[in-house]
Amino acid sequence: MSKSKFIFTTLMLLLVLAVLIICDLCLGSINLFSLEKSNPMFSSILYDIRLPKTITSIIAGSGLALCGLLMQSLFRNPLAGPYVLGVSSGSSLFVAIATMMISSIQVSGFFIMGKSIITLFSILGAFFVTTIILLVSKKNKNNVTVLLVGLMLGQILSALQGLIEYMSNADNLKTFVMWGMGSVGSSTMEDLYFIIPIYTIAIIASFFFIKPLNAILLNEQYAQNLGVNVNALRLSIITISAIIVGVITAFCGPIAFVGISVPIASRLFFKTSHHLHQITFCLLLGASVVLLADVVCQILSSQFTLPINTVTTLIGSPVVIYLLFKSKLNVG
Amino acid sequence: MIDIKHLEIGYQNKRQYNSVFKDMNMTFNAGDLVGLMGDNGVGKSTFLKTITGTLVPLSGEIKINNKNITQYNTQQLSQLLSIVVTEKIGGFNLTVWDVVASGRIPYINIFGKLTSDDESIVTKALEQLNLFPLKEKLIDELSDGQRQKVMIAKSLAQQTPIIILDEPTAFLDHTSKHHLFATLKQLCTEQGKLIIVSSHDLELMKSYINKSVTMAINNHLEIK
Repeated sequence: MSKSKFIFTTLMLLLVLAVLIICDLCLGSINLFSLEKSNPMFSSILYDIRLPKTITSIIAGSGLALCGLLMQSLFRNPLAGPYVLGVSSGSSLFVAIATMMISSIQVSGFFIMGKSIITLFSILGAFFVTTIILLVSKKNKNNVTVLLVGLMLGQILSALQGLIEYMSNADNLKTFVMWGMGSVGSSTMEDLYFIIPIYTIAIIASFFFIKPLNAILLNEQYAQNLGVNVNALRLSIITISAIIVGVITAFCGPIAFVGISVPIASRLFFKTSHHLHQITFCLLLGASVVLLADVVCQILSSQFTLPINTVTTLIGSPVVIYLLFKSKLNVG
Repeated sequence: MIDIKHLEIGYQNKRQYNSVFKDMNMTFNAGDLVGLMGDNGVGKSTFLKTITGTLVPLSGEIKINNKNITQYNTQQLSQLLSIVVTEKIGGFNLTVWDVVASGRIPYINIFGKLTSDDESIVTKALEQLNLFPLKEKLIDELSDGQRQKVMIAKSLAQQTPIIILDEPTAFLDHTSKHHLFATLKQLCTEQGKLIIVSSHDLELMKSYINKSVTMAINNHLEIK
């Protein structure tokens, strides 16, 4: 992909994203245009409710899409992604454990501390699962085996989570179930002050792995012969992915679909293998997909918020299936 | 260029010590086209992995340009020797240009940007193997012979004095095999590269190589 084409595509994607941000901020149960700007409701709705939700959508979408891309490149498998490989389930289980612990100790008043513990557990859960997957992939080079192990691991972790939920009280259970459906609407501005620095560092870090990621697309032997320290690359990518998935899962719940399908769609739309291009496109496309899902939610029902998982999957899956059929080429 | 003395190759970890071949002594010079022969399982791939630095020698030494291979780091080795392996690559929108350009990875900045010098080196590598018209094609659209040539072009773009190919003729038809060896021979004579090729195609290889290494069971090594 030529430089001018890359810049043009990036600008187009930024434009789409900007339009979606404006739509997302404008849509909701109350029409902002009917309010006076001096009305305190106006700034309250815009800054306390809609802006945090819009920023969370952008972070969740771009972050998960990036993780999907990093995992697909590392495993050289288009079916890899945080949800499929059980990484999100790992986060979920650890979040469930943390929530149980916190609620049993009853440390109300330490709200922020509680959230940071949950986030930390979420990251640990993601790291734990990714490390297992990686060890399996080192022992067994077969991609199908690795994916199956990921799926099974996800099932085991979900079952354990089910056990915890079964034993929890009605209030906790409701929190879990709602959280498990995924939501971008529950983060506050204070949460974002916590999420944004971690997210930003992880995203910037991923740009420093463009060259080794390009090399590993050939295979590990070639990558090593091209001067890449493959073990260091693996550890770095796992750490970055675990941090991003962990943080997002802690605040938004396990969001399905975006992680696996955005990188696939990005490769189908934009014919390039270079990671500078693909990382940029996945970030922008991922953010747009989740924003679009939220906008669709608002249009369908302004009275209550639909679970984001349902909408991303319902809009996104048919698009990817269509693209896969239309394209005769191997996406992986 | 490569000096091998009393080399013992194999696999070693905490639990086991698995020696594959012992007491190997040989010397390869610039311009040599070396054919590596031997039955399946005798240790050809292990040998190639050891001289490319992927595996550590169990004992003995390998010197490249009078310096022990273990003293080179990954980055230095990537500018000294390049490999072509049997495993097929593809997918992920990889085009012929992308794969050949990956040969420049040891030399370019961390964001993977090719300079105009890098681009002309990649173009030259493509032209040398008559791949330039195919540069926009996806790797998945190529025949096995073309894929093999792309990997060799990648090695050329990597600009290493040594190229090592593990069974490059495995998927090729008769004509493509001859074409491949003719190309390798040309690289040795015209550019003074040292090329080591493992293959089962004994008869075919004989008319091109100037040195042969045959590995057989019981550590029997024949060098001609």
